[in-house]
Amino acid sequence: MTTPRGPGPDGPAPGGSPTRDVPLVPDREDSWHRVHPISPLVRGWLALAAIAYFFGRDSFESIFRGEPAWMLTEGRGFWAAAILLGVLALLVGGFVLSWWFTRYQVTQEHVRVNSGILFRQHRQARLDRVQAIDVIQPLLGRIFGLAELKFEVADAGESAVRLAYLPLASAQQLRATILARASGAETDPEHPDEIHEAPEHPVLAIPASRVVGATLLSGSTVALAVMVLVLATGTAVGFALDWGSFGVALSALVPGLVAVAAGYWSVFSTAYNFRAAVSPDGIRLRYGLLETRAQTVPPGRVQAVSVTQPLLWRLKDWYRIKVNVAGYGVSAENSGARTTLLPVGTRGDVMQMLALVLPDPGTEDPFGVFSAGLAGKDNDGGFVTSPRRVRWLSFLTWRRNGFAVTRTALLARSGRLWRSLAVVPHERTQSMALHQGPLARRLKLADLQLHTTTGPVRPVVYQMDIATARQLFDEQSARAAAARRQSLPERWLEHRPGQEQDGQQ
Amino acid sequence: MRSEPIDPDGISWIRVSPKYISVQLIGWGISALISIAVASAPLVLLLTGVWDGFPAWLAWTLSGATVLANLWAAVLIPRQVRAIGYAERDEDLLIRRGIFFQRVMVVPYGRMQYVDVAVGPLERAFGLASVKLHTASPQTNAAIPGVPAAEAARLREQLSARGQARLAGL
Repeated sequence: MTTPRGPGPDGPAPGGSPTRDVPLVPDREDSWHRVHPISPLVRGWLALAAIAYFFGRDSFESIFRGEPAWMLTEGRGFWAAAILLGVLALLVGGFVLSWWFTRYQVTQEHVRVNSGILFRQHRQARLDRVQAIDVIQPLLGRIFGLAELKFEVADAGESAVRLAYLPLASAQQLRATILARASGAETDPEHPDEIHEAPEHPVLAIPASRVVGATLLSGSTVALAVMVLVLATGTAVGFALDWGSFGVALSALVPGLVAVAAGYWSVFSTAYNFRAAVSPDGIRLRYGLLETRAQTVPPGRVQAVSVTQPLLWRLKDWYRIKVNVAGYGVSAENSGARTTLLPVGTRGDVMQMLALVLPDPGTEDPFGVFSAGLAGKDNDGGFVTSPRRVRWLSFLTWRRNGFAVTRTALLARSGRLWRSLAVVPHERTQSMALHQGPLARRLKLADLQLHTTTGPVRPVVYQMDIATARQLFDEQSARAAAARRQSLPERWLEHRPGQEQDGQQ
Repeated sequence: MRSEPIDPDGISWIRVSPKYISVQLIGWGISALISIAVASAPLVLLLTGVWDGFPAWLAWTLSGATVLANLWAAVLIPRQVRAIGYAERDEDLLIRRGIFFQRVMVVPYGRMQYVDVAVGPLERAFGLASVKLHTASPQTNAAIPGVPAAEAARLREQLSARGQARLAGL
């Protein structure tokens, strides 16, 4: 491989031509690597498929009609071929150029990616700022044995760094390398290139039967039932009044059915083949039906957790766990699945996963406290609930709404029919606010809202007695401040005297 | 100003400048003029006979309701501004606001990512500025408007210094 003829501002220094080997030793400033050559094809296959469809359909149909294709008659054949070749050349040229100009390197401290043909983009991220690493294989990538590596840092609307695509084994090796350097683990000075993936222990796998059950019992079924009920009533009334509106009713059902099917699909495809494992580098989740993902969330990166239970899952005592991780943010692409720590699990599974996120629950009886948070009411498990005078305002939820505090986390419980529990570690509390509206003022109530990073979890302690709420507000700020002073270092395996927080940002 | 039920004990709030009432009132005047003009358009058209078909009761209600809502907002502005307050504690900054819907927020210095000081044209004319604190959470909507410019500068320096001293990761 030669040096590119028109090197950008980042042109490699003489002798530093990009390679396709995965960097095992930290890269020097001038050593760069390229992604796999067929990557643009995996990314741009849709364009090729569209062209094939456009040109192919006409010829294909004409074969069946037994007459020559419109495109190939009356001298149009030449032009058709020219246009096809031109478009193909443009696409393939673009593919080749974009591949040629995309380079990456992983140094001891940073990961850098340069990309773009006309508008160059240079991106650099610090390894110890990693919030999560994903290895993603889209359907076509699986056929070719390629995978995309996503490196997430906090406060990036999109992935900080995407390497697409690498051979699967290389992507995994690179993930291990990045995590090893980010964790501050010491490598063997004799063999700096021998980085082994941290050993992982399987924690749980969701059986296929439960995935099907969870899909059938999901909120979509409730929506479907409500829809059918409304339409049946509507149709019955229509017949009684002789409107003859059966066809209209059915056609109204179609968009609803599409939405329900989409709902079923999203539950099914994300829960399918879900496995969780734990390693010194954090929690590792694998799932997916067509597109498979392996997510790694290093220790201390989970900002908040919520455990919810859709209405019908009560029958089986199943729950879903969602997390806020700074890097995942609100990116539209598959964010529902990415922020799911457990798509469907029994109470035992929930406890196992919570133990991974919150290694020290900070209480003598974690099972009792968290069980009370999941399905309990009133004061069991040490929860403090809304005062009795709220019962006419929230007659269903007043015995559920409440909070409990352990040494390490705050648990906010709510919801009677759709049960929900939010857990925020003290050291992850960003800021807090007490809210009080006019009605709450009359009833001497207040809500406490805990602020965490962007994500599906929004912890709120609802309708507390004003004195209790103020006390919680004060104590919680003190607890959060104390927890911050002794929180874990960002490089989670680094050996350091004591557990001092380093002031380096 | 008296202490509200949700205010923490033993806090003496620093109130924002009374001049901020004028800033808010001028801003209110502009938006009130525009909204009343828009809402009164049907009434004007009706009275000048351009649009006879428009129901008279609707035209009158629309204009009347807009005028009343704007007047009500104007009455509230001074009280709303007086309800804004902040207090610096050792570990964190407290910010309160609101009269009907009250809020008391605590922002730990160690959690601040950056501090914004913004000055609009109206605020500049009155020598005021707005200070806004940002944490890693988008829900932290911690703005202190209508602070005198010198106080805003002091606050920014103070907050940055305290944030530096108590810095924590995410």
